[in-house]
Amino acid sequence: MKFSGLGYLIKEGIKSIWTNRMMSIASIGVLISCLLLTGAAELLTINVSSALESIGGTNVTRVFLEQHITDLEAVHIGDELARIPNVEKTVFISKDDAIKDYQDTLREDIFEQLTGEGNPMPNAIDVTMTDLAYYDDTIAAVLATEGVESARDTREIAQKLTMLNDLVGTMSLWIMAALVLISIFIISNTIRMTMYSRRFEISIMKSVGATDTFVRIPFVIEGMVIGLISGVIASGLLAVLYNVVLNTMKDIVALSFVPYSQVGLWASLAFVVAGVAIGALGSVVSIGRYLRKEGNELLGW
Amino acid sequence: MIEFRNVSKVYPTGTHALNKASLTIEKGEFVFIVGSSGAGKSTFLKLIMREEVPTSGSIIVNGMQLDKMKRRHVPMLRRTMGIVFQDFRLIDKMTVYDNVAFAMRAIGARPRAIKKRVPYILELVGLEGKGDRYPSELSGGEQQRVGLARALVNNPQMIIADEPTGNIDPEMSYEIIELLSEINKRGTTILIVTHELDLVQSFNRRVITIEKGVVVSDTVDIQS
Ligand SMILES: Nc1ncnc2c1ncn2[C@@H]1O[C@H](COP(=O)(O)OP(=O)(O)OP(=O)(O)O)[C@@H](O)[C@H]1O
Ligand SMILES: [Mg+2]
Repeated sequence: MKFSGLGYLIKEGIKSIWTNRMMSIASIGVLISCLLLTGAAELLTINVSSALESIGGTNVTRVFLEQHITDLEAVHIGDELARIPNVEKTVFISKDDAIKDYQDTLREDIFEQLTGEGNPMPNAIDVTMTDLAYYDDTIAAVLATEGVESARDTREIAQKLTMLNDLVGTMSLWIMAALVLISIFIISNTIRMTMYSRRFEISIMKSVGATDTFVRIPFVIEGMVIGLISGVIASGLLAVLYNVVLNTMKDIVALSFVPYSQVGLWASLAFVVAGVAIGALGSVVSIGRYLRKEGNELLGW
Repeated sequence: MIEFRNVSKVYPTGTHALNKASLTIEKGEFVFIVGSSGAGKSTFLKLIMREEVPTSGSIIVNGMQLDKMKRRHVPMLRRTMGIVFQDFRLIDKMTVYDNVAFAMRAIGARPRAIKKRVPYILELVGLEGKGDRYPSELSGGEQQRVGLARALVNNPQMIIADEPTGNIDPEMSYEIIELLSEINKRGTTILIVTHELDLVQSFNRRVITIEKGVVVSDTVDIQS
């Protein structure tokens, strides 16, 4: 196959974006929205997982000690618990630390009363397990330890959080699939319009013996350039929007989010690659049917 | 070379446009095809350029068997022929030069080859110095010369013209056919469908008459 006319074809493809600029701008707009929404869905999933990890680790169980246990005794009990098989580590949570968790939710005067001597919270130890499959045995051993009063059953919470995580993941996958399809549809529609506006040239090209590939290249280039532009703009917008949303969310909920620096490069890369691929696919989809037509049929005469 | 053997074409509408037509046109011939409206002349040409496929029968054009041809080989067939249309089919927003160059670009010709070839062809059809004009700035006869230049630029073995003079006044028509005659002298096969019998008579060439999808007369010129 000869590619001596490639420069010409690329020029034609890019020219066409300008000639049909209203449609091009419209499809770039839609594509940017789709990319951003897809990115948002994926980033939400990433952040939910990360938040869940930070909440607590789904395999951390808080163990409450008897009221009379002092800080020093509590540390000893912590060491003892750490020796139980399947316990990865223990962290001592003093009653003073425990009450601080409620500082924001309680009225100031009430909170004052509850600190120091009036603190109703017992000392506690956060026990991290290696494998939740042995939860029952491990917890039994923990409860049998001298000075341990009770343990908060976190399995239910853990399960719920895992379910939530899975749900967000699945939903964002479907949303992404739908948006990608919509994008391909939009691009193929745009390309079909520009093909329609250039059907006269196409009929001449075919009558002098242009190959299908040759007729196709400018349109594929057009689709890919539209995709590239969309990908680049979407990446820029993401950089701005992500930080804005993150800062707002930080003020609302005290969770740890994934910083832009960690996801930005990958997301931008994904946007550009996805944009170009969607552009190419969308145009290939729309051209096939058109190329089978000949002469007057192609021209609609 | 064109060979039709028992070729029939029935359109999806049920119209029998050609009925077991058989004929041979040798390389280098100059042929007029005449017949009343709806006789099947355009269908005959469309079968040659494989814009249509025959319902039955066999067609050989320039060494290629068209009835069995795969779609992806059609471009190769088209490159052996130049097509001239009654309505010129020039691209309005392109200059004369670009209209002709377009046919070369469409098949991947190198820019340098295009620069050399287009002016030569424009001169051949009598359009030297008009390369920068737009089709709307030309007379009908001149526009058809552009059409002819575009058909010739890729150096085809044959020219196929469906009523090339249908939209041009008689004097200009004569000149166009004259020009095709000149091109024929260089060895290019010429096929012209026309309604203008005066024109046909003044050139005294082979005339194939088609009526109701059948070749009813084929007079071979004695002079040539
Ligand atoms: N695409 C088509 N679909 C259905 N019928 C067609 C089609 N093209 C041509 N026909 C019919 O086939 C017959 C032959 O048509 P064709 O165009 O070959 O005639 P023609 O000799 O070129 O006529 P004219 O001198 O008017 O151009 C006509 O009856 C016409 O209506
Ligand atoms: Mg006709």
